[in-house]
Amino acid sequence: MTKRTEKILVCCGTGCIANGALDVAAAIEAEVAARNLDVEVSVDVVRTGCSGECEQGPVVRLMPRDTMYYRVKESDASAIIDSLEGDPVEKLLLKKDGMQVEHMDENPFYALQHKVVLKDVGIIDPLSLDDYIAHGGYEGLKRALEMTPEHIIDEVDKSGLRGKGGAGFPTGRKWRTAAGYDVFPKYIVCNGDEGDPGAFMDGSTMEGSPHAVIEGMIIGALAIGAEEGILYIRDEYALARDHIQKAIDSAYEAGILGDSILGTSHKLHLSIVRGGGAFVCGESTALMASIEGRVGEPRAKYIRSVQRGLFDHPTVLNNVETLASIPTILRDGSEEYAKLGTENSKGTKVFAMVGKVKHTGLVEVPMGTTLRTLIYDIGGGIIDDRPFKAIQTGGPSGGCIPESLLDLPVDFDTLTEHGAMMGSGGMIVMDDRSCMVEVARYYVDFLCEESCGKCTPCREGLRQMRAILTDICEGRGQEGDIELLERICHTMEDASLCALGRTAANPVLTTIKFFRDEYEAHIKEHRCPAGVCAELTQFVIDAAACTGCGMCMRACPADAISGEKKQAHTIDPAKCIACGSCREACHFSAVLTEGRSA
Amino acid sequence: MVSAEEVARIIEAYPADRRFALAAMQDMQNEFNYVPEEGLEMLAEHLGCPIAQLFAMATFYKALSLTPKGKHIIKICNGTACHIRGAMNLVTGVKRELNIEPGETTEDGLFSVEIVNCVGSCALAPVMLVDGIYHNKLRVEQVPGIIDSYRAKDGEQHD
Amino acid sequence: MSELVKEQIKVLIDGKECYCEKGEYLYDVAKRNDIFIPVLCRSDAFEDHRACCRVCIVEVETRGKSKVVTSCVYPIEEECTVYTQSEKIKEERAVVMALLAHRAPDSDVIGGMAEGMGGTEGFARLTPLEAGKCILCGLCVQACDSLGTGAISTVLRGTEKRVDTPYSNPSKACIGCLSCANVCPTGEIVFEENEKTRTIWKREFELVYCEECGALMGTKEMLERAAAETGVETPKVCDACRKKAMADEMMHTYRFV
Repeated sequence: MTKRTEKILVCCGTGCIANGALDVAAAIEAEVAARNLDVEVSVDVVRTGCSGECEQGPVVRLMPRDTMYYRVKESDASAIIDSLEGDPVEKLLLKKDGMQVEHMDENPFYALQHKVVLKDVGIIDPLSLDDYIAHGGYEGLKRALEMTPEHIIDEVDKSGLRGKGGAGFPTGRKWRTAAGYDVFPKYIVCNGDEGDPGAFMDGSTMEGSPHAVIEGMIIGALAIGAEEGILYIRDEYALARDHIQKAIDSAYEAGILGDSILGTSHKLHLSIVRGGGAFVCGESTALMASIEGRVGEPRAKYIRSVQRGLFDHPTVLNNVETLASIPTILRDGSEEYAKLGTENSKGTKVFAMVGKVKHTGLVEVPMGTTLRTLIYDIGGGIIDDRPFKAIQTGGPSGGCIPESLLDLPVDFDTLTEHGAMMGSGGMIVMDDRSCMVEVARYYVDFLCEESCGKCTPCREGLRQMRAILTDICEGRGQEGDIELLERICHTMEDASLCALGRTAANPVLTTIKFFRDEYEAHIKEHRCPAGVCAELTQFVIDAAACTGCGMCMRACPADAISGEKKQAHTIDPAKCIACGSCREACHFSAVLTEGRSA
Repeated sequence: MVSAEEVARIIEAYPADRRFALAAMQDMQNEFNYVPEEGLEMLAEHLGCPIAQLFAMATFYKALSLTPKGKHIIKICNGTACHIRGAMNLVTGVKRELNIEPGETTEDGLFSVEIVNCVGSCALAPVMLVDGIYHNKLRVEQVPGIIDSYRAKDGEQHD
Repeated sequence: MSELVKEQIKVLIDGKECYCEKGEYLYDVAKRNDIFIPVLCRSDAFEDHRACCRVCIVEVETRGKSKVVTSCVYPIEEECTVYTQSEKIKEERAVVMALLAHRAPDSDVIGGMAEGMGGTEGFARLTPLEAGKCILCGLCVQACDSLGTGAISTVLRGTEKRVDTPYSNPSKACIGCLSCANVCPTGEIVFEENEKTRTIWKREFELVYCEECGALMGTKEMLERAAAETGVETPKVCDACRKKAMADEMMHTYRFV
């Protein structure tokens, strides 16, 4: 008699691990081992990759009955095992409109998503080749092996797939150009150096479905005629690196990689290069310099990498998400993929939605989904229902998008036309307590450190912009600063050597374009409307609204708040460091901000 | 202490090819907590390249450092999500507790503090890592307690 | 004959008709036709150009589309119209020069160029570095590397980037040849010299003079390096004297007198 298989999927993505998922998995395993379970039930604890809703983690899912538990603790292990045979554990279910929701699809966070890249992430055991194959893995490769390189490229072309690292270059066209050069060896390189502060989809994809990335690379190698491939993976992504390495090892063992791919005469050897910790290495020529063992400076050449890239040979560089889309396209056909998305941006895009939004995490939606759907329907709106101010997309190369543009479809071209950009997929939601000048300074600060420092506009432009933005944030802004910032920005856009420098102005330009009034408030009125810039902000307690609960007092790191229980509290301005902890802690909106009298 | 044998073992694991320079230096970083000068010298010899070019790399890549780091490494994530949720307040809190600036190591060699870019845990911002252990949704008033717990652990070991 | 003419591409630079071969760099074409484009990080001594100063930007119009390019590394692939002094270029070059002037406040060369290109007016708000003349053009590193010395490199990155020896220590690899100082466009790299020694990059070198004529031959390390590379003994006399001696000997041998 065959045993019925129950699967208990414990999300072990970075976010859930941080919330204690490994302990939960261990507790469940121990519980399974300790019990003499009904002979007809066997339990697999599968340590999956990120299931997306990191904020509610650790997430545990029972399959095949599809019960999702959130915020699971070690002590819940016993109740979870009980529920295999009975009713779900109520307290671990998601509550929506006062009702308990059991299945994944009933959770609006998941219901509106459409997963292609992430379809196996959170479902399969990333360390099991068999599990990947059982879910249709390497079917795309098998089809590709029956096709000519031209056919593979035609298929990718027809799917409309474009590079998802942000630039949006058509993948099929890139492959075709590389395939056209008769210079060998050729290389296929996977850019896994995800460096945008606020984006983690590539890391999660590598962690959760490493074979999809590898399968995509093999298909790409077949198409262009490469026999060596390199995955350049960010230094900080230890788990992703580990999973990719183990997946490579098992692919070699299974004869999927090596001198004979699945018994054919095709070869491919893959290896990992650990990133050195430099954001600029997301730029293609800098990344290749880094692989070659040099300083990660972009090269100043008007010659493309598909012709002369790594070691001066034809090289295709694709990002993780792009490569992970390839297996599905080959397996299900380009037409299926092209049904998703918009006219010029086909398929799906994964976003890391974070910041001041209720449900944070990874989401994958068809291209063309509006920002409003992302933020309000999937993300559940702004924390504490505060007013929305901006959404930052695309990291340091992207921009801040205001409320007025929330109904635009998100794809490669639309946001760009409006002076913002979709970028690689980081989305940071900001409310009225985020200062847009300070956000601009934050990105400029980041880039001052992360620029390679080779060319004048980027290196010196950033240094000067940091000085000016810091002055504005600290109350030393001057008339004419905005115009000077714009002059520097425009020069950087045109005259910088690489894409990092050419896009480095975006955070400044978009905040000026859409939030000029905030800049002016800082410069002319010495006031930070969001109450973030400490030099321009003073916190006071509204005695009428204060209930004397003491939350602010406990939150204050500077011991600046005093007051009797149930009496209105006060802030000592001499001790206050204007960090805003009290405002975050207060449930009664009793902490107000005032401009600081100079 | 850094021994020449250990350095040699790390370097000789790689062929004498420039493309392995970064990997060899990262291995030294893992082994010694920094890239020692003698390590750079031996690697330059092994690869047949000027030491200046390796020095350029060692100062360019953030994964490498030229001075030994502390026993416990505190990383405060300043990715955008953490930033807008108060990462810089955590930095201030840690500075106040340890009296060092980010990038420095305490005199007793116990702690190094670094501000790092996104650690991929944005959904749980703000995040601080001590020796790779995540402290999520951290509030600044929790910082002293966490640091004390590491001090206490080391204190026990010394007793 | 037709072969040669066919491969020539017509380029209109600031209204002047110029011709070049496919793939030639725009800067070189302009220079050959006596059209001046300012540049700081480019030297004829090297085939590769770092293209990092971004002063040589120009506007190129191809089939109605215009873009800003870096002329020193921009290969001409098809007929195009080039503007080296368009309003856009003048504005952006002014900003680049203003940025450089505030990076190298002590350099008269940069200060003068900035003034000439509109990089002073309207930029008083910018913050100058405390001191220095270095604009990080990288020519010094390029010179040192191309001679196989590799004594200096850029260190750090971003706004902190600078040129230095490893650990800022006197370089073991340096031979005191002064190539770096000679190629430096702003005079940032300084050296001291007296009768016996030369000091550069914190290291002191012994000077060697020709035993015949007393002319300065270089540092001891330079001579030793050259000798080791060519496999001869370290010379005691200068090149001129050696040649003269050789000629004398030949004359003597063949009795030409």
